[in-house]
Amino acid sequence: MSDTAAVRALRTMDLIPYILEHPGISINHLSKVFNASEKEIEKDLQLAFMCGLPGYTPYELIDLTYEEGVVSIIDPQVLNKPRNFSSSERVVIALGLEILRELNLANADNLKKIDNLSKKFQDTKGEDLLIMVDQNLSFPFLNIINQAIFETRVLTFDYQSVSKDILSSRKVVPHKLYLQNGYLYLSGYDLQAQSDRIFKADQILNCVIGEKSDAQKFDQVKDEEIVEITVDPENLNFIERNSSIIIEQEMSQGQLLVKLRVSNFDWLKRAILSNAPSIKVVSPRSLALEVEQMASNIVSAYSDQS
Amino acid sequence: MSDQKTERLINLTLALLSTKRFLTKSEIFKNVAGYSGSAETMERMFERDKDDLRNLGIRIEVRALDPLFEDDQGYLIDSNTFQINPEDFSKEEILLLTMAANLWHQSALKHDSNAALLKIQSLDGSVATNTVASPVVEDSEDSKKLLFIVDAIERLITLEFEYKGVIRQVKPYGIYTRKGFWYLAAEEKDVVKSFKLIRIGERIKSTSKSNAFTKPSNFKLSSFKESLNAPTISTAEIKIRKNQALALRRRYEAEELDSEWDKLSIDYSFEEDLIETLLWYGSNVVVISPKSIRDQIINLVNGLINV
Repeated sequence: MSDTAAVRALRTMDLIPYILEHPGISINHLSKVFNASEKEIEKDLQLAFMCGLPGYTPYELIDLTYEEGVVSIIDPQVLNKPRNFSSSERVVIALGLEILRELNLANADNLKKIDNLSKKFQDTKGEDLLIMVDQNLSFPFLNIINQAIFETRVLTFDYQSVSKDILSSRKVVPHKLYLQNGYLYLSGYDLQAQSDRIFKADQILNCVIGEKSDAQKFDQVKDEEIVEITVDPENLNFIERNSSIIIEQEMSQGQLLVKLRVSNFDWLKRAILSNAPSIKVVSPRSLALEVEQMASNIVSAYSDQS
Repeated sequence: MSDQKTERLINLTLALLSTKRFLTKSEIFKNVAGYSGSAETMERMFERDKDDLRNLGIRIEVRALDPLFEDDQGYLIDSNTFQINPEDFSKEEILLLTMAANLWHQSALKHDSNAALLKIQSLDGSVATNTVASPVVEDSEDSKKLLFIVDAIERLITLEFEYKGVIRQVKPYGIYTRKGFWYLAAEEKDVVKSFKLIRIGERIKSTSKSNAFTKPSNFKLSSFKESLNAPTISTAEIKIRKNQALALRRRYEAEELDSEWDKLSIDYSFEEDLIETLLWYGSNVVVISPKSIRDQIINLVNGLINV
């Protein structure tokens, strides 16, 4: 796909301040950052070399050195600063800062810095905020987990598994922290289970950073199974919350017939109980029977009580 | 051909950016490299170039230079609007900006996130993104919709979308999250309502230009949100099996009941939410009171038996 002259002009003008801050950067690296081929970047730079301020003497042209695949800027002329953020970029940053704010609620120092910065990005038009992120995202281990991810170090923590309802001690090589549907999760390689696991951040306790992990890559087999359920269309929340594991859904006889890819059966069984009676298992049959047994146990627990 | 045009666009931008005073068209034609041909040709070139730059979001200021001859206009690009001033941000702030933009780099907003990151990295090369292992957003919701709406809120643009099978015309006031979902607070037919983002139809469009309405000065997103929650707190007594329902035990003080069970008092605002939470623990949790909740649980669970 060829870019229009205008898009190319913009990329060329963005290249200059970027290279200025990254002297000696390789063309290969630039092509990745700017999402263009190495050839395109080279052509952009050749073009930049011809451009400058009226007069166009050597002193007025953009000057750069380009040798053996690496490039540095000698004179950027007026392109010494990056182009301003577009309105959508500003929104992305403002939203991001709101989330960072939530994550750092426990850290008064960071909070103040984030608030000051947010003011530069939220066009508040008065006192009221336009965006309010209200999760209990506050997470005391944010910094050490970030550090562990960057330095590939092992984390040791106690984990309160919500789906298994047990507290256990874990040793994990963290991959990443991510937010999904408003909750913060940590994904990582569980050294005891020898497989990738996902942890809900608010159930992590006593987290400490440990030694560097020497393991390069971990092979893992994901035990996933396809489960078929019906969901009462009134219960859209379940569908909306779990859209990432839904493979197929269709309406059939007033019910939503949904196919899920499930690896955590403890979670699914509890979710079905929680949403009773709007979710029913169609297949596998064994799962349907297990859920029914759990439901019967609840009923008998209540009859014992009375 | 395309090279020539790209070169001319860059030279024009640089000339307008470097000048301290407004440049007339004839000055531009005379001094900026790339303009040639008849007066009419150059005029056409310039008009097209100007449009191209503006379409890319570059603001070109125009001013009449002579009050008697309005045709004689001057042009300039203000570096304060065109460029970011690196001195506006400390090193620490640049790191936070990197984290904020980086949050979205795996989401539907990745294009804007990458574009913003590129500019942030051009502010200070020593803050490299790979030193920032910050969290990322993995959204199942369409973040593009979110971005579109936030932009409309900021610029006071009215919106039209389908919601629960009905086409709505709204004035968007603000956006907030609750229990992991995004909501839009917007005025529809003089009433401020909440719209769950995920249920807003894909074909959302703006129906006005910027500043099409004014938000009532007494509207506050924070108080609107609070008015939705209306918390009347009640207490339920439950018993939980020993060493079970650990997440509940972390939040509430347990008191020993007998060798098999402990007792907890739980505060709640909505019966449905409490029931959902308690059912999660299966037969390890039994409600003692209120009776209405006991009855509802038995009733709901019976719906899962003999199906």
